[in-house]
Amino acid sequence: MKYLVRALLYVVLVAPLALFIVYSFTEGWFFPAPFPSEWTTTTFQRTMDDPRTLGGMWQGFVIAVIVSLLSLILAFPAARALGLRQFRGRQIAWLMLFLPTVVPPLAIGMGLNILFLRVGLAGTIMGVSLAHLISTLPYTVFTLSSAFARYDENYEHQALALGANPMQIFFNITLRMMTPSLVVATLFAFLVSWSQYLLTLLIGGGKIITLPVLLFTAASGGNPSTIAIKSLLFILPPALVIAFTARELNRHGNEIREQY
Amino acid sequence: MTKIEITSLHKTYPNTRIPVLQDFNLSINAGEMVTLLGPSGSGKSTVLKIIAGIEQPNSGDIRFDGETILNIEPNKRGAVLMFQKSYLFPFLNVEENIGFGLKMQGVSPETIQAEVKRMLKLIGLPGIEKRKVGQLSGGEGQRVALARALVTQPKLLMLDEPLSSLDTSVRLNLQAAIREIQRELGITTIFVTHDLSEAMAMSDRMAILLDGEVTAYDKPETLFHRPPCVRSAKFVGVDLFLEGESSGGWLEAVGVGRVRLKDESKVGRSVFAIRPEHIRIQKEEKENSLMGVVQSCLFRGEALEVLVRIGNVMTRARLPMPAPMFAHGENVFVQLPAEHLFEVAA
Repeated sequence: MKYLVRALLYVVLVAPLALFIVYSFTEGWFFPAPFPSEWTTTTFQRTMDDPRTLGGMWQGFVIAVIVSLLSLILAFPAARALGLRQFRGRQIAWLMLFLPTVVPPLAIGMGLNILFLRVGLAGTIMGVSLAHLISTLPYTVFTLSSAFARYDENYEHQALALGANPMQIFFNITLRMMTPSLVVATLFAFLVSWSQYLLTLLIGGGKIITLPVLLFTAASGGNPSTIAIKSLLFILPPALVIAFTARELNRHGNEIREQY
Repeated sequence: MTKIEITSLHKTYPNTRIPVLQDFNLSINAGEMVTLLGPSGSGKSTVLKIIAGIEQPNSGDIRFDGETILNIEPNKRGAVLMFQKSYLFPFLNVEENIGFGLKMQGVSPETIQAEVKRMLKLIGLPGIEKRKVGQLSGGEGQRVALARALVTQPKLLMLDEPLSSLDTSVRLNLQAAIREIQRELGITTIFVTHDLSEAMAMSDRMAILLDGEVTAYDKPETLFHRPPCVRSAKFVGVDLFLEGESSGGWLEAVGVGRVRLKDESKVGRSVFAIRPEHIRIQKEEKENSLMGVVQSCLFRGEALEVLVRIGNVMTRARLPMPAPMFAHGENVFVQLPAEHLFEVAA
């Protein structure tokens, strides 16, 4: 039974991917044909040769990395305060930080666009990255603050009592203790930024092209092969990141659990 | 070896009105091991946290060999604190944990390695350098934490109930080990506990801390047998207090009756107390006996604990074994030997 469930799970997860792979190398596979009639690498070759594809991937990747770093730097102190301290206005601070998740991105994007145009940030990588922060911060703050709520400050006190200065405590204790949560928070920020379409389009103003922008254009074009190829390219980096970090995360998590 | 002087320490936590510490004073001789004994919430841990620099006092002073430490950065005070939980860093192995303090001071890896080895030998766990801390037992964990605290050669070692989460046998074992290591190294030490027998076994002197102030500070045997005040006496297990007018070697105790005193010169209002081990319960009347009624009789192994009512006062007597059992409601004579009655401040 256990194996059956596992097999079913794999099918559900892998089947759409397999379909994308098949679509990437066919042309003219339409209903009711059960199998593709023609196999070709032409569309794949053409998409990969298009400089916008790799350019979009690269730009999206750079933006996602900038956003992940900025998210961590901004979310860390906020999450620490929210997770570890009780203070007046804590609930309001929570609400303010989570507001972007309920406000439609279009409303935020339109307002930001005007502001960024004035200050010269519209159409720049930094402008798009800052706009993405609005979407990523709630997730990073939430992930880190729930980790801080379980965090025992006495590890830091212990290090202090052993002669470590605040900087040494931060790098040798706090960051090490928080590593699993920091990795998860970075992943969230990366994935949210990587898949961001609307804010990129509004703030990028056609100058900043990322893969989701190209994917949406392709989707409206209606060529299933192009959509399939771009979709595969779209899920590749996140899938790789998750695959590489999952093992490390699990190992580190076990180490921390042993102690608690 | 460092002499520690704590004077007029006051501490009230934000958003609370009741002070945790009020006029806390303590003087510790160089190389001495002093126990802070008190119930939970009495402010014991706060004292240690203030010395370590984790908390700030509202007022007062702490001096190491005559020099104030309150304006010295916490990590440069040379006061190492060890908590109830070992707080070994889970991502470091035993060697890296013990060497942590030295590494932060920039000591060379070779020296650290040699020092760690020396410390592991001292705590009786040689050869476990590479072991993960998750694989250590509770007792081993605390020993490693002790080694980590000692390796930096602190001026003051502070132990905050380090044994309270351990099994009895491990605890007794570690009590002896800590005492021996402390004597060997001669490090001035403050040991915090709420356990009276642990405090007595561990300390050169012990301070009873109640509601943020030191109510008694003396050698364990003196505090056990002659606590200076009612509050301290209650904490060391005394529960019969006789209050009344004394004159001509007699005390007219309120609610109990007339009791003979050793000191015939005592005159006026006073409170006398007696330890439960010194109270005798007998079936026939003897000198300085009062009538009592047995409420309960419990076999405690090494002693028989008898709860008895004298007049309108209830008290406990601990009779050494072998002793006869008493029935509930039995009329008895409660003997309070005059030589064991001592005066306490109200």
